Amino acid sequence: MSVLPLLEVDDLHVTFNTASGPVHAVDGVSFTMAPGASLGVVGESGSGKSVTARALLRLFAITDDVRVSGSVHFDGADLLRVDERRLRHVRGGQIGMIFQDPLTSLNPLMAVGEQIAESLRLHRGMGRAEAASEAVELLARVGIADPEKRATELPSSFSGGMRQRVMISLAIACRPRLLIADEPTTALDVTVQAEILLLLDELRRSEGMALMLITHDFGVVAATCEDVQVMYAGKLVEKASMTHLFDRANHPYTEGLLRLVPRFEDAHTGRLHPIPGQPPITGGGGSSCAFAPRCAHAFDRCHREIPPEVAVGPEHLSACWLAADRAKEGTEAGRPWRRTP
Amino acid sequence: MSDAVVVGSTLDTGSPEPEEAAGPRGVLEVNDVMVEFDTDAGRITAVDGVSLHLATGETLGLVGESGCGKSTLARAIMQLVPMQRGSVRLEGTDLGTLPRRELRRMRHRIQMVFQDPRGSLDPRMSVSTIIGEPLRVHGIGDRTSRARAVAEAMELVGLPTAVSDRLPSELSGGQQQRVGIARAIVTDPAVLVCDEPVSALDVSIQAQIINVLDELRDELDLAMLFIAHDLSVVRHLSDRVAVMYLGQIVETGTASEVFTEPRHPYTQGLITSVPRADAESATRLQTARRLVLGELPSLLDPPSGCRYRTRCPYADDECAATEPPPEAVDHTDGLHSLRCHHWRDIAVRSGAQPSSNSQEQAP
Repeated sequence: MSVLPLLEVDDLHVTFNTASGPVHAVDGVSFTMAPGASLGVVGESGSGKSVTARALLRLFAITDDVRVSGSVHFDGADLLRVDERRLRHVRGGQIGMIFQDPLTSLNPLMAVGEQIAESLRLHRGMGRAEAASEAVELLARVGIADPEKRATELPSSFSGGMRQRVMISLAIACRPRLLIADEPTTALDVTVQAEILLLLDELRRSEGMALMLITHDFGVVAATCEDVQVMYAGKLVEKASMTHLFDRANHPYTEGLLRLVPRFEDAHTGRLHPIPGQPPITGGGGSSCAFAPRCAHAFDRCHREIPPEVAVGPEHLSACWLAADRAKEGTEAGRPWRRTP
Repeated sequence: MSDAVVVGSTLDTGSPEPEEAAGPRGVLEVNDVMVEFDTDAGRITAVDGVSLHLATGETLGLVGESGCGKSTLARAIMQLVPMQRGSVRLEGTDLGTLPRRELRRMRHRIQMVFQDPRGSLDPRMSVSTIIGEPLRVHGIGDRTSRARAVAEAMELVGLPTAVSDRLPSELSGGQQQRVGIARAIVTDPAVLVCDEPVSALDVSIQAQIINVLDELRDELDLAMLFIAHDLSVVRHLSDRVAVMYLGQIVETGTASEVFTEPRHPYTQGLITSVPRADAESATRLQTARRLVLGELPSLLDPPSGCRYRTRCPYADDECAATEPPPEAVDHTDGLHSLRCHHWRDIAVRSGAQPSSNSQEQAP
């Protein structure tokens, strides 16, 4: 038997009550992460990938009318049921988070070194002087040159990439066992993105922390994650190791996502293949496959029953009525999106 | 009438701008454009001597990272920001010398598509009014012909007639961008300038809009300047590309040549940095990190000599002392050119594999 999971999410549901009715943003999601694991969560906007991450820490806006059910076991406790005090300790302590726009998560009026030191005093019980010097060390760890000087500066004096580094140093300050990164490089230039992705990968390996990376870009996942799960309308539709997914993407939605972006290594090879239609705005909660209306392979059953997760390979699951057939085809012919020789 | 003089002077200089060399006279000719801005901290040169040309039916991709000047260049071409130097010729007419009124008359031949479709559409106007507005502003046609042109433009971009009377806020992001494109093509422009037209859209919508632009280019024989930071999208759409760094074009050529045989260390770094969905993804990023060092210098204090030298692993004293002029790669008839003193000594790095380069192999 493998090691005990660090994170065990079971049948997570998140429903927002909005003016236009309930939105099932997360609709029965279950997965586990081992200590030190790296998991990419991929999907379009509105697929529920960010809400899943926020639900793990009950991070909702005070104005959200939200209902959460299921369980999120982290380090022995169900985070959906622990009290606020314990949860605050986990947030930014055992679980670190970084987001797309670091500016919204940093205090604009406080020197970055102070912000990191504050977190160290709060979560690691350090004294003022110790926290200040540890903050400088953390800035150096994430590749910020001249850290003593930069620690005294406000977030606004950092470039986008450097600001994301500050955010990462803040997130790892308390040696979290899990780092959740939600589109951490989407706003960055491509060379800066490369550096941040390498930094996340190096930190994961050196600190032994697990990394959950939420993105719409399979390339970003390929650079940083060993495992990947694809979400659609609040459900996990496919889970696999990254290398396995490249060779044998099974779910039609995954295949669609892989095919719809131009791949850098291809010269112009005709028109792209957008997935027709749009994701349902009310999320999941239906009684059929949510992807069926957009799926070229859908048949009667897809419109009547929700497909279960089917094992289509070692640690490879696909929630599709055609999963078994497609797994067979895939091993014979490979997928159309694969690199052509 | 002054053609002979122009040709003569070009020959006399001995080193024509390779960006301009050997190409046919284009529908858009941008020559030695310089744009400076005053900021709180001092004067910056956002665009520094850029020349490029576009032929009918051709797409030129303009790539580079934040602050490289690509959007400023687009605005200078559109005559939306003043130029300190240089010229922009549209179908042979120098836009910079036109009186305001004449310039307005020319504008319908060059149109722009913006990044944020929502922000660039008047929220109180209906879709058909928005699309028809440039025709009314330019006084083109009568009511009937305008309505016909609007209907045609809507069909070309794939907007159903049913949305004619809707407001922008009632449309999806993808439909809003289709409205932006329809408005740009309704005046039958010769040149379409697209500034990050898909970067604000969700991935599945991006693919639709890219296809729309691709089809339009073919059907309308548009010359397209396509500005984007997403290299995969640029490669997909462009015939030629120009790579900008700190206000200058550092490398240009056909898309296939620049992307498969990049010569400039910055282009090599940029291409290698693109995360690709394959097993070598992480290794490739390691290589990228060795090609683009440190941070982007400030435009307030640009490096002497070669702009890229502060981040370049190959830089030496010569790079600090003299600015490399654009130089043509020999076997490409001047289409592929770059600004680098040492490009002959730097291995081609296709980025297809994380291959090692000559420096790393040296003992």
